[in-house]
Amino acid sequence: MNARTAGTGNRNSEAEDLLEVEDLSVGYRTKRGFMRAVDGISFSLKKGRSLGLVGESGCGKTTVGMTLMGLLPPNGEVRGGRILFKGEDLVQKTEEEMQRLRWNEIAMIFQAAMNALNPVQRVEKQIAEAILTHAPDLPEEEALRRVEGLFQMVNLPGERMHDYPHQYSGGMKQRAIIAMALACNPDLIIADEPTTALDVIVQHQILEEIKALQDDLGISLIFISHDISIVADVSHDIGVMYAGQLVEYGSREEVFGDPRHYYTRALLASYPTLAGEKRDLVPIPGETPSLVAPPSGCRFCDRCDAAAEACSLERPDWLEISPTHRVLCARCLSS
Amino acid sequence: MPEPILKLEEVSKTYRTKGSMFGGRAAGLVKALQCVSLEVLKGEIFGLVGESGSGKTTAGRLIVKLESPESGRVLLNGEVLSTLRGRRLKAYRRRVQMIFQDPYQSLNPQLSIYESVVEPITIHRLAAGRERMERVLSMIQTVGLSPPESFVNRYPHQLSGGQRQRVAIARAMVLEPDFVVADEPTSMLDASYSAKIFNIILEMRKRFGITILFITHSLAAARYLCDRIAVIYRGHLMEVGTAAEVIHHPLHPYTRALIDALPKFGLAEQIPRYNTLLEEERAGVEAVGCPFFMRCRKAHRTQCGREVPGLEPVGPGRFVACFFPGNGGGAGGKGS
Ligand SMILES: Nc1ncnc2c1ncn2[C@@H]1O[C@H](COP(=O)(O)OP(=O)(O)OP(=O)(O)O)[C@@H](O)[C@H]1O
Ligand SMILES: Nc1ncnc2c1ncn2[C@@H]1O[C@H](COP(=O)(O)OP(=O)(O)OP(=O)(O)O)[C@@H](O)[C@H]1O
Ligand code: SF4
Ligand SMILES: [Mg+2]
Ligand SMILES: [Mg+2]
Repeated sequence: MNARTAGTGNRNSEAEDLLEVEDLSVGYRTKRGFMRAVDGISFSLKKGRSLGLVGESGCGKTTVGMTLMGLLPPNGEVRGGRILFKGEDLVQKTEEEMQRLRWNEIAMIFQAAMNALNPVQRVEKQIAEAILTHAPDLPEEEALRRVEGLFQMVNLPGERMHDYPHQYSGGMKQRAIIAMALACNPDLIIADEPTTALDVIVQHQILEEIKALQDDLGISLIFISHDISIVADVSHDIGVMYAGQLVEYGSREEVFGDPRHYYTRALLASYPTLAGEKRDLVPIPGETPSLVAPPSGCRFCDRCDAAAEACSLERPDWLEISPTHRVLCARCLSS
Repeated sequence: MPEPILKLEEVSKTYRTKGSMFGGRAAGLVKALQCVSLEVLKGEIFGLVGESGSGKTTAGRLIVKLESPESGRVLLNGEVLSTLRGRRLKAYRRRVQMIFQDPYQSLNPQLSIYESVVEPITIHRLAAGRERMERVLSMIQTVGLSPPESFVNRYPHQLSGGQRQRVAIARAMVLEPDFVVADEPTSMLDASYSAKIFNIILEMRKRFGITILFITHSLAAARYLCDRIAVIYRGHLMEVGTAAEVIHHPLHPYTRALIDALPKFGLAEQIPRYNTLLEEERAGVEAVGCPFFMRCRKAHRTQCGREVPGLEPVGPGRFVACFFPGNGGGAGGKGS
């Protein structure tokens, strides 16, 4: 069972790194060659903190999450780097060892919420079973009571607990999956687009619950989303990904308040809001480069306003803006 | 004034959930839609906004005839859907398409991306040979899966979430339908790709006069795309009006609560706060009146708790279902 006790809630200060990802590269074998979906990314996460991962569709966010869970598909492969979780390298672990960690210590709210639920089993039963698998000594009534509490937490009506997944609306399934991930009190939750089907009111309530859990239990969170307003709401740190790489990384205030990479700026500029004059929505022009044969220089080069000839030739280096803010572009400082 | 292409007339839909057979729990009833009437005009983009579980997808499924209403009628171009049979039904299935909310379920896992997008063309015999292939490739390119050659032979499980969502959009749009129900079509896409998809939708409207029912929980998306919006809560329409009116001058307490709950990122002080949502549901009362009564700060106990407010006109093209719309009346309201 979970050895963590309550009372470890005091956030940051002397908190140690729960997770350290170093130079991680992951890809997929395809007919057209090896697709480098994640290419040399590094970040770290302290206990009780949250990291938001943003970036456009297909940039590798889910791949990062699935790698941490040890759930890559058969054609997926870790090509390099380390994932230190509580000091141990997950990349080196066997499937059996990963099974012990999964859900108990690292849980994931899958983007494919619907696929994650068993269609022929009542929702209540599925969550109770998840709890009982990891705590076989728990009496069943206790497990069911815990399910009830989880339903309340994610704002699902208790009388719908006995339904089958297909009787749920899109957002209800998503909330059931969130309940499932919270069921075993993990240390790290990877939330992959967890609120795409939720209206703002329910979304706000659930995010508040998650933040409270973080404070009370010291849970760490990797929050993957394309919606920068939600990421800004829950994350202490932000990692911006583009075409398999991290391109900007740092504290929320610095990355969103003083964005340095052109992609981060473009992302922020294209965000629709209710404020101000209604303007035309302008997509970032151009296409994402191929991940099978990525360009040798900067990957955003073709779409960047400030690109110079050197950009397409040399691989850019990390530049430290502050001890808590870095960017993968050599030109960012000139503007 | 363009004529309505789609009409819902007092449409209701109830689902039965069985409860637990062995636990001896009684069958539950879920009233997904309750006496909903609305009209969508030809060529317009009509937004349906509301909380999770409020009946939005149900409305969409009724329109594309995946389900039939329990009472009331759905009409497209004056034809009552429940009477469509044979050739007319087949034509309907081509002209009216739905982009499903869940791209993980709406694509057949056995079909490659090419096969998924070509299938509707083949079924409806719209093109063949080279023309058919070009149409498919150009549609795949249009939704930003580029270059198409690197996607066509893949299977859905080899795509990211947002890539699947774009395949689902391509599959619906490749038939050049007259009417599309787009159920949260860009929920997994970042702002830049969403903007691209919105621009495609706007372009198709300009070229083919396509009409769209846009289901979304994002008011910001609705603001950019929709001409008019209907706000739905627990199967009831709460407010209808132009997108600009509903968003900038919301009259219904629930619409106001939606705007209050928006993440404040990038909005700062510019958006007013209405404070119409109760933190805790009202305790100890059975809600027989207004569906929003349990959470409404403005509610007047005697009236709102007992009667259901109808969707009444409050201005040209503007409808609200509330006894105390805007700043008027109500127990906790500011008064006007
Ligand atoms: N099993 C697979 N085989 C081949 N390619 C894959 C496979 N799974 C994912 N990919 C590709 O790897 C890249 C990264 O995918 P990933 O799912 O990590 O993206 P993502 O950032 O989560 O995108 P989204 O926001 O759209 O969900 C994509 O280009 C995708 O097409
Ligand atoms: N086949 C079904 N059997 C039983 N109940 C159902 C069925 N389909 C939908 N419902 C219920 O009807 C209600 C409305 O569902 P619907 O899918 O229309 O909601 P929605 O507004 O699309 O929500 P979301 O934004 O979460 O997708 C929900 O309570 C849902 O659980
Ligand atoms: S009718 Fe009453 S309870 Fe319903 S929304 Fe209006 S004020 Fe609130
Ligand atoms: Mg993903
Ligand atoms: Mg839905």
